Amino acid sequence: MAVITIQGLTKRFGEVVAVDDLSFEVDQGTVVGFLGPNGAGKTTTLRMLLGLVSPTAGSARIDGKPYRELTDPVRHVGAVLEASSFHPGRSARNHLRVVATAAGLPLTRADEVLAQVGLAEAAHRRVGGFSLGMRQRLGLATALLGDPQVLILDEPANGLDPEGVHWLRGLLRQLADQGRTVLVSSHVLAEVAQTVDQVVIIAAGRLVTQSTLAALTARTDQLVRVRTPQADTLRSLLAAQGIQAHPDGTDQLLAVGTTTEAVGRAAAAAGVVIYEMGAERSNLEDVFLQLTTKQGVHS
Amino acid sequence: MIRLVRAEFTKLTTTRLIYGLTAAMAAFAALTVVANVIIAGEQGDPLSAYSLPALVAAPVTLLSGAALLLGILGMATEFRHQTVTQTFLVTPHRGRVVAAKLVAYPLAGIVLTLTILAFTAAVATGWLAAKGITPSLVGAIGVALGHVLLGAVLAAGLCALIGVGVAALVRNQVAALVGVAVWVLVVEGLLMSLVNAPSLGKWLPSAAAAALTNPGGAHLSRLAGTLLLAAYALALAAAGTRLVVRRDIT
Repeated sequence: MAVITIQGLTKRFGEVVAVDDLSFEVDQGTVVGFLGPNGAGKTTTLRMLLGLVSPTAGSARIDGKPYRELTDPVRHVGAVLEASSFHPGRSARNHLRVVATAAGLPLTRADEVLAQVGLAEAAHRRVGGFSLGMRQRLGLATALLGDPQVLILDEPANGLDPEGVHWLRGLLRQLADQGRTVLVSSHVLAEVAQTVDQVVIIAAGRLVTQSTLAALTARTDQLVRVRTPQADTLRSLLAAQGIQAHPDGTDQLLAVGTTTEAVGRAAAAAGVVIYEMGAERSNLEDVFLQLTTKQGVHS
Repeated sequence: MIRLVRAEFTKLTTTRLIYGLTAAMAAFAALTVVANVIIAGEQGDPLSAYSLPALVAAPVTLLSGAALLLGILGMATEFRHQTVTQTFLVTPHRGRVVAAKLVAYPLAGIVLTLTILAFTAAVATGWLAAKGITPSLVGAIGVALGHVLLGAVLAAGLCALIGVGVAALVRNQVAALVGVAVWVLVVEGLLMSLVNAPSLGKWLPSAAAAALTNPGGAHLSRLAGTLLLAAYALALAAAGTRLVVRRDIT
């Protein structure tokens, strides 16, 4: 069952189209990585989902309702947006107490979530003295305050050191194991690859692909790199056989989703000279880059 | 709604601002008593039991300014530190958030005003007692004190309301503070000299506030001043709320 439904979502800021007719769904109990390069429209999408930014067109719903129409949103949805949205002069505990008071939650929750994110020691310190990593933890603590079933996290790994990233993975896994639905954005696939079940990849405000991580992994290992002085000829030959190939440098082609055998036969049949050819074991990051760079969008 | 107002009070009492502001106002109030006692007799009437209301009234104008500051900061700090994001995540009905602020900060301004005036009265009474003067609160002195307190409470509440409204409109904390200061210190004076009609001056916001804090003279009556200041406050609050509800929080 879809917990989060994004439908035809579009946002224009003046001339700039930040999000362009975006649609995807997030099913209950899944951890979905929301990926794309910086400026792809991830934050704007999440802010529309959370009712902070009004869409130009389309809709973003949680359990069938726009965020603004949820009763008790904090018990329903926890969100971490940017790491800087705290009053620097207020202590971590008091920050959480403000939120708990406004949400009608017991004040004891503040201490519980501080312990959960490992900030119990820093509870009485002013947030102004916190490191970026501590702020991210406090943001997560705030999101967990209402014990929500849905978590929406915007670049939660930003500013975390390797130990912090490791901790974050553990926390996300733990939340997922409890059956919660998590939508976590990142511009680095590797950050979330170990945690997510599915990925939604966007670039330039548009959906590139939504697939399971397994399907994305299956797209690796299928590249053939060819060095040839007749790159353009070979490219159109391959295209005639339905094989996509992208120029990579002046005399190289990168054929996608094919084998060295197929490329070799096509080249031999047309007498195309080949200097070098090899199958590449692309990794997930390559797939991600390929999908999100301009040529990738057209593949 | 009540929990949102309580949340605003939690916000106010968990940063240093309100404590610093209270201490500064108390120090200023004590200074006004000292200054007024020193100049009494040289300028104006010598000290007597009837001096008490005037001594207590001295910090009232500045207190309405402090209430204005509380209102501005109560709204503008949310934008300055981006806490408004979290606030609207908890309460997506933004109008309720602004409404809670429109209740909380006038109340805070009134509590601050009454606290400082009680302190001022205590200092003044003590000083008078040291000079062998014991004011009786029954009769004319009590009535005059009541008028001072009433004017101060109304001015503080309405000024805080204006502060919240201005900050909701402007959003930028520095711009809101500078804007209000420039308005009160420069723009109103320019308007007065441009239209060259002193009788129009009493309709300006700070003159309406002065009708409450320094009644008499060319000012409007207290009732008219209250209504006019309330009209300004509600207009600003309504316009500010409208903007805050519609704007994207990016």
